[in-house]
Amino acid sequence: MHISEGILAGPVLATGFAGTIAIAALSMRNMDMEEVPKVSVITAVFFVASLIHVPVGVSSVHLILNGLVGVVLGVRAFPAVMLGVILQAILFGHGGVSVIGINSLMLGGGALAAYGVWQLRHHFKLAKREVIFGALAGGTGLLFSGLVLSLALLTKGEAFFVTAGAALAAHVPVMIVEAVVVGACAGFLLRVKPDVLAGHRVGLRVKSAATNDAT
Amino acid sequence: MPLDIDRYAHVDSPLQRWDTRIKMATLGLFMLCVALLETLPMAALALVLALMLITLSGLPWRFVSDGVKWVLLFLLPFFIIMPLSYPGDAAFHVLGLPFAWEGLRLAVAIVTKALAVVLIAYVVFGSSRFDVSMVALQRLKCPSLVVQMLLFTYRYIFVFVAEMKRKDTAMRSRGFVKKSNAHTLRVMGNFVGTLLVRSFERTDRIYKAMLSKGYQGELRTNVRFAAGPLDVVLGALAVSVAVALIVSDRVGLFVIAERGWF
Repeated sequence: MHISEGILAGPVLATGFAGTIAIAALSMRNMDMEEVPKVSVITAVFFVASLIHVPVGVSSVHLILNGLVGVVLGVRAFPAVMLGVILQAILFGHGGVSVIGINSLMLGGGALAAYGVWQLRHHFKLAKREVIFGALAGGTGLLFSGLVLSLALLTKGEAFFVTAGAALAAHVPVMIVEAVVVGACAGFLLRVKPDVLAGHRVGLRVKSAATNDAT
Repeated sequence: MPLDIDRYAHVDSPLQRWDTRIKMATLGLFMLCVALLETLPMAALALVLALMLITLSGLPWRFVSDGVKWVLLFLLPFFIIMPLSYPGDAAFHVLGLPFAWEGLRLAVAIVTKALAVVLIAYVVFGSSRFDVSMVALQRLKCPSLVVQMLLFTYRYIFVFVAEMKRKDTAMRSRGFVKKSNAHTLRVMGNFVGTLLVRSFERTDRIYKAMLSKGYQGELRTNVRFAAGPLDVVLGALAVSVAVALIVSDRVGLFVIAERGWF
């Protein structure tokens, strides 16, 4: 899902670029060179995942997984999604060069929102909280993107009201698909390689036990 | 969908010989100007210019159309939604829905512009090797970290597409069929998870290999740029055509004609 070339007006495109550059600069602060390959790999997975099609009824949708990028990379999800958007514009002409800014803001913002939801899991003690919050994060990522997409279309005025509504409605099935996929993926990663997940607290319980002994 | 956008970068043509930095900067500006056009005749002119650039670049039509047909497919809904949802006077009704010519004009303008921009992007990135394009991007003051990550990602995409195909074959050979149900979605979640775990482990190895070869967080390259007078002239030409397009779009003859159907 992308905002296509040639729809939005100059000021909106400029806002997209300005917002993207600002958030990218903030979210890439203190980035080690060690992180370069890691972020790139996730970006590539994000890019490749958009080639996976899942049947929904008679039609099929492709995965977007910006929520998953948030779940895995945390704050660094924004530059990752931005790079994915740039490459999609270059290689596929999905979206386009002038809409890289607004598309990064739309999908990358969704990834950051998903990360926010994902981190809330620490406040709950549920048996399957990673699956539940993974699903919520996956859904949130797309919900946020869908809202930004509709808002951007609304800036074009009355002629685009129906298009904006249709775009938002089209997101609902994709949102459900993504929620289930990201939830399952988060549960899988927790079992197999939990340190991949963003904000995973390793050995927290051990540490608190140690301090208890000391006192 | 051709993933290796620079497959025909070795073809000899004026666009391939053009200095990549200047090509990228000036045609980038050109694309922005095209995206901001509002009148249909100017958008059509931009599309003609884009097609001329493709011809000049010597990229095979088949290669270009392979990529562009997906863009067209993506833009198709506009032709249906826009005319039927445009507010104002309807020319006639289709299945009870009002059909407005103005909406169709808007849809045609959007699709024309989008096609023109995508074609120019093909010219820019199809006529230089991808790594050369990225080095040029860095010379144009794009942050080094971003350029490096773009290069890495581009490399990994091919690795992962191959890996995904292998895994897909493995799953199908065990009798997995994609259906529209929750089980399929959970399996896809695990599929993506496996892809992530495997690629993370790969990252570790790659990073160590890079360190052992002396990687210090900088992009080193043998690519050298040398812009001659011809490169600059071509760049100036591209910029002036772009400016002429946008100026005649805003104040030109066609604005009056636009009031009617054009």
